[in-house]
Amino acid sequence: MSTAEIAIPTQRPAPVSVGPLATLARRRFQLTARTPRELVVPLLTPIMFALVIAPALKTALHTGTAYESYVAIGTVGLLIPLNTMFAGLGVIVDRVSGAQRELLTAPIPRGLLVLGNLVVALAITALQVGVLMAVAVARGIHFHASAGGIGWFVGAGLLFTVGMYGAAEILANRVPRQEEYIARVPAIAILPWFLAGALFPITALPIFLHWFAKFLPLTHGLALMRYGLRGDGSGLHAIWGMTNPTTMAALSLAVVGGFALLLTAASIRVFSRSAVQ
Amino acid sequence: MNAIEVSKLSKTYPGGVEAVKGIDFEVEAGEVFGLLGPNGAGKSTTVGMLTTTIEPTSGSARLAGHDVATAPLAARRASSVVFQEPVVDRSLTGRRNLEIHGRLWAVEPHEAAARIEELAATLGLGGLIDRPAGSYSGGERRRLEIARALVSRPRVLFLDEPTVGLDPRIRAELLEVIGSLRNRTEMTVLLTTHYLDEAERLCDRVAIIHSGRIVALGAPQALLAELGRELVELRIDGNVGTALASLRERGVAGEDAFAVGSRLTLPLHDRSSRDAIAAIHELGLTGAISAREPTLDDVYLRLTGDSLAAAA
Repeated sequence: MSTAEIAIPTQRPAPVSVGPLATLARRRFQLTARTPRELVVPLLTPIMFALVIAPALKTALHTGTAYESYVAIGTVGLLIPLNTMFAGLGVIVDRVSGAQRELLTAPIPRGLLVLGNLVVALAITALQVGVLMAVAVARGIHFHASAGGIGWFVGAGLLFTVGMYGAAEILANRVPRQEEYIARVPAIAILPWFLAGALFPITALPIFLHWFAKFLPLTHGLALMRYGLRGDGSGLHAIWGMTNPTTMAALSLAVVGGFALLLTAASIRVFSRSAVQ
Repeated sequence: MNAIEVSKLSKTYPGGVEAVKGIDFEVEAGEVFGLLGPNGAGKSTTVGMLTTTIEPTSGSARLAGHDVATAPLAARRASSVVFQEPVVDRSLTGRRNLEIHGRLWAVEPHEAAARIEELAATLGLGGLIDRPAGSYSGGERRRLEIARALVSRPRVLFLDEPTVGLDPRIRAELLEVIGSLRNRTEMTVLLTTHYLDEAERLCDRVAIIHSGRIVALGAPQALLAELGRELVELRIDGNVGTALASLRERGVAGEDAFAVGSRLTLPLHDRSSRDAIAAIHELGLTGAISAREPTLDDVYLRLTGDSLAAAA
């Protein structure tokens, strides 16, 4: 080591937000890429559903190929919560043994830390949903998607992912340890999936659960995705009871959008408050 | 202009713990300023408030002229922190950790790249910089964190207990590095420590902090001078209060003499230790007697009744 020279400290201009956001997203992606479990583990269960369980259900229940596409989209409703909840683990790792404190002293709005993580959660979820759908198609499952239908599917998936990442970020900032976080994951990521019409229409539920399911964002998300990729408005009708599917789809998209907006705003607020003592 | 201005700064945590109780101090640009005190004295809380990770309960603080409460981004833009605990992305390389800091502090990429090379060479990280930070030893990691803090050429650098937990050899190396920062123009350094030698060696001025209050503030030499050139320390077998009263009555001990437990410390301002020891013997006081130069621990001890070394 030797004594260094240093230039006179200078006042730098304030960074614009896009640069820091890209830096934070790239950092999160690099950290995630070095943690294969965050990429692979959430994918295992949905692929099992697409490759093994859906065909088995079809055989056992004597249903048609339509049910396979029904379940394939239903598994997206499991993949998104699982993936975003796994992404939330990174927040705890950052706080406990990572560079979160350094980032908190950076001259950037702290909400960007949440948004940087969100960008990567979205990208990885999109990749995984793409893999799932590709596997489903390769397995011989048929979808009837138009450009508009794909738009509904993507819109619903994107907004639901944003909302679920908000939930993960809130939970990660509320619980001190990974063990406690993981203990809560089934209640948030898996339980709603059983009630939201992933494997069967919500009309098959007892009446009080049917009403409860109508309030779950996942129910709206799945109904929208099925409307988009299967042209099937029955899920939307079970929620809204209307006749115009486009109107019902728009209403459900608004619900999922509100869920995304609310949870994202709440997650930024929770992070900013919990980061400062 | 002062680089740091702190006025009546307080922090009370939920639950009522008063960590910092209305402290005031100013640090000039280019100065190395030490916050000296034991664990729990309020040093890290003060740094947390100055770096906007802890919200003050009352009072104000300005960094490079920017109020940390009303202009936190500007205050953070002017500063960098080296934390007491490891704060790195362990799976990323040292270089990537430094690059991220540069990008977030809006350093031009080509400037950051050159700066990283320079700092890596200067801080002995040249062979390590492309290895994952998780593979670094404690001293290497600490040097990496110092390098990271310097990438953005901060006007104010916070070093929170930078040598705590390091073995003596690495600590000595690191002190050399931090000492070299003194030669760097116009960068203000606020250093917290409970090591007296660090404060004496590195700091232009120190504030001694005890239970959330600043109990002494000044240049280390000035604080030491208050205790004279030499002091006598004796362990009393009998009643310490009576012994101290006798010593004061005979003019051996001044008003600044103090007792902690069975130990009496007598600062000597205008008499030699030989004379003082002879006078003590004449009084018939028994116990171990020694003479030595004062340290900042004695300053702290006189003001608080606790030894810094013991409290830390």
